[in-house]
Amino acid sequence: MSGNGKVDRRGFMKGAAVAGGATLATETRVRAQTAPAQPKAASPSAAQQAMENDPPGEAEKLTTEKTGSDFMVDVCQTLGLDYMAACPGSTFRSLQESFINYGKNTKPEWLTCLHEEVSIGMGHGYAKVAGKPMAAMVHGTVGMQHGAMALYNAWCDRVPVIVFTASAGPVEDRRPGVEWMHTVQDGAATVRDFVKWDDYPRSLQSFSESTVRAYQLATAQPQAPVFITADGKLQEMELSKAANAKLSIPKLNHPTQAAADANALREAAKMLVAAENPVIIADRYARTQQGVDDLVKLAELLQAPVIEARGRMNFPTTHYLSHWERSGPVVAQADLVLSLEPSDLYGQLNKMRDQLERTEGPKTKAGVKVISISTHDLLVRANYQDFQRYSPADLSITADGEASMPYLIEAVRQEIGDRKAAFEARGQKLLAAWKGLADRARAEAAMSWDLTPISTARIYAELYNQVKDMDWALLQDGGFQSNWPHRLWPIEKHHQFMGGSGGGGVGYQPVAALGGALAHRDAGGRTPISVCGDGEFNMAPHTLWTAAHHKIPYLTVVHNNRAYHQEVMHVQHMANRHNRGVENAIIGTTLRAPFVDYAKVAQGYGAVGIGPINDPKDLGPAIAKGLDAMKSGQPVLIDVVSQPR
Amino acid sequence: MKSHILLLAAAILAGPAFAQDAPKGDAAKGEKLFMADGCWQCHGVGGNGAALTGPKLSQTALPFEAFLHQLRRPAAEMAPYEAAIVPDSAAADIYAFLKSRPASPDLKDLPLLQGMGVK
Ligand code: HEC
Repeated sequence: MSGNGKVDRRGFMKGAAVAGGATLATETRVRAQTAPAQPKAASPSAAQQAMENDPPGEAEKLTTEKTGSDFMVDVCQTLGLDYMAACPGSTFRSLQESFINYGKNTKPEWLTCLHEEVSIGMGHGYAKVAGKPMAAMVHGTVGMQHGAMALYNAWCDRVPVIVFTASAGPVEDRRPGVEWMHTVQDGAATVRDFVKWDDYPRSLQSFSESTVRAYQLATAQPQAPVFITADGKLQEMELSKAANAKLSIPKLNHPTQAAADANALREAAKMLVAAENPVIIADRYARTQQGVDDLVKLAELLQAPVIEARGRMNFPTTHYLSHWERSGPVVAQADLVLSLEPSDLYGQLNKMRDQLERTEGPKTKAGVKVISISTHDLLVRANYQDFQRYSPADLSITADGEASMPYLIEAVRQEIGDRKAAFEARGQKLLAAWKGLADRARAEAAMSWDLTPISTARIYAELYNQVKDMDWALLQDGGFQSNWPHRLWPIEKHHQFMGGSGGGGVGYQPVAALGGALAHRDAGGRTPISVCGDGEFNMAPHTLWTAAHHKIPYLTVVHNNRAYHQEVMHVQHMANRHNRGVENAIIGTTLRAPFVDYAKVAQGYGAVGIGPINDPKDLGPAIAKGLDAMKSGQPVLIDVVSQPR
Repeated sequence: MKSHILLLAAAILAGPAFAQDAPKGDAAKGEKLFMADGCWQCHGVGGNGAALTGPKLSQTALPFEAFLHQLRRPAAEMAPYEAAIVPDSAAADIYAFLKSRPASPDLKDLPLLQGMGVK
C-alpha cells in the first residue's frame, strides 16, 4: 500500500468520524476528480517523487522484530509438524521468512518443491508411511489450482495433509496488479468438495484455534486433507508484546477412534461363525502393523481367506490365508463377505462389462450375506462421485475398521463354540489351494523372461534379487505391472507397501514416492523403491531435484512402455468398437518420436540417472549400480524400456 | 471369467463341423499382424500374457474356431475385432504365429525366479 493511501485513509477516517456518510462520499469524489499535477521541470527520480508525494517522515516505522506470521509459526510448531513443503509464492512471503528464520527452519523444516502438486502430493505419500501428516503451503489462487489434483487424490485415499494457502488482505492493503490476481474471497471454494474442513481465520487467535482444529480433524478417522488460508495482513502485521501475550494456542486433542458398538459386533461374530465359506476383503483397513497383526488373528481364528484389495498393506502375502489371486472363485463361492474399510463395496461384489452395451452382474452367489465395517459414510460429499455406487449390506457397521478389530476378534472367540473342527478342515482346504499360487506366478513370470522390451516380471525379479536382504519398501501399487509385487514378493510388514493413488489422478506416483521415501529415510535404514510408469513420471520429473536437494534417497525404476498405456488400450477399444482398425490409436497416447531419455532428465535434476536399459541382461548390473549410489543418500533413476504391462 | 469359459466352451462344442476347414496361416505374416492389430498391447509382445489386461496366447491350446470366436464375440472385456478389421485369413495368420511361439524358458534355468514367490 502506498504511503499516499495511508495519509488519505487517516484524513478520510477523521472526516467520517466527524461528519458521517455525506462527508465520506464528497471527499472520495473530490479525490477522484483531481487531475495529477503536470511536471514543470526535469522529471524527478522515483525516490524524489516518492518523497514529495509521501514523505515517510522520521516517525514512520519501517521495520519490526515481530509479526503475525511469527505467531503462526508458533502454532505450527506446537503440532509437531516435521515438514512444510512449498513452491515459493509471494502471498506467504512473511510466513516463509518466519518459518526459516524465526522458526529456525526446524519442525517444520521447509522443503523446496518445484510444483504445488508435489508439495501436497508428497504429503499424501508421507502420511501413509509416517503415520502422521506433514504440511504444505501453496500460493494464493494459482498455487492452489496447481495443487488441486494432488489434494483430490489424498481426499479419495482418505489421507491427511495439512495444507495452507494465503491471500492478500483487504482492498486498502492490496497493491494494484498481481496481488489482486492472487487474492480470493473464499480460498477453499475450489477445493472444498475434497477437503475435510477449511477455514479463513480473520484474527491470529482464530488462526491458532482453526489450525489446531484442522489438525485434529485431519487425523481423526476417516482421515482427509484440511485447508487453512493465512491472511496476508495477519501475516505481515506488527505484533506487539502486549498483543502477543493475549494470544493462546490450544492443546491438541488426540481423540480415540470410533470403534463399533458391541451389539453390532456380536451380531457380526454370529454371522461369521455360522458361515460355511466366509471371506474377508480388506481395503483401506490397516493403518499400522497392529492392524495387520489383528487381521491375521481374525483370519486364523475363522480359518477364512483374506482378499487384499491393496488400499493399504493389510495382510501378509506369505500367509496361507492370503487368497487375493483367487478372488474370483473365492468371492463367487462365499456365503458371507466381511468387507473392511471398502472404498467401493459395490465394485467388490459386482462387475460391469465394458462393451457397447454395458451389462452388469454380481460376482457373488445368490443369498450371500454382507457385513461392512467402515468409516465410509462419515465423510461423503455430493459433487465428486468418489463415494461409488450404493451397495446394500446385511450388517453395515459405521466404525473404524482397525479400532474395531480387537473387539470383533473377542466377539468371534465368544461365539466359536463347537465350530473349531469345521474351521480347521476349511483351513486345510485353503492351504492346499494356496500352495499352487506361487508356482503359477513363477511359471507366468518365466514366460516372458527373455523378452525385449523387458517384461515387468523380470523387473521385479531382478529387483527383489538385489534387495531381498535389505529392509525394502515399495512405494507403488504395482497394478500397472501385472501385480507382480503381490504375486512374487513377501510383503509382510505394514511399511513395505502403501497402496495407490486413491483418486487415479496421474502424477501421484512420483510425488507420493518422494514423500514416502522421506518418511522411510527418517525411519532409518530402509530401501524405498518406486516403480513408476513413464506417463506418471512425466507429470513431476522434478521431484528428483527436491530429493537430490534434501538428500532423500530412493530408487525410481521407470516402467517405460513409451505410452500412456491405459489410454492406448482405451482408444484401441473404441477403434475396434467403431470398426475402424487400431492403426491410429497411437495418436495422442504414445511417447515416441522422440523417445524421452529419462536418465538424462534425472541427471539434469541432480539425481543419478541410469539407462535406457533395453537388454534384460543389463538390468541386474544397472540395479546394483543404482543401489550402490543410493547408499550415499542420492535419489537414483533407472530407465527400463519395458513391456506394456 | 466364468462366462468367458462358458462361451469358449460353447464355441468349442460348435467347432467340430468346421474343424477341418481351419485355414492354414502364415506365421511370419501373423507376427506382423499381431503387432499391427494391437494384440500385443494387452497380451504382451509374443503373446506371453499380462495378469490384468490379457491372458497368455503364446502356444494357444484353443482350436481355431474358438480363437476366431473370441475375436468376433469376446467373452468379457476384450475389444471385438470384426472381419472388416481382422479378416478370417489374418486371424489364421495370427493363430499360426501364436502356435509357432517357442516354449517359455524352463524355471529350472532361471535361478532368480526359483527363489521368488511368497510361498
Ligand atoms: C484391449 C485389450 C485387448 C486387446 C487389444 C486384445 N485382447 Fe485378446 N483378450 C483380452 C482380454 C481381457 C481377454 C480375456 C477374455 C475377455 O475379456 O474377453 C482376451 C482373451 C483373448 C483370447 C482368449 C484366450 C484364452 O485362452 O481364453 C484370445 C484368443 C485373444 N484374446 C486373442 C486376441 C487377438 C488375436 C488380439 C488382436 C487381434 C487380441 N486378443 C487383442 C484383451 C485384449
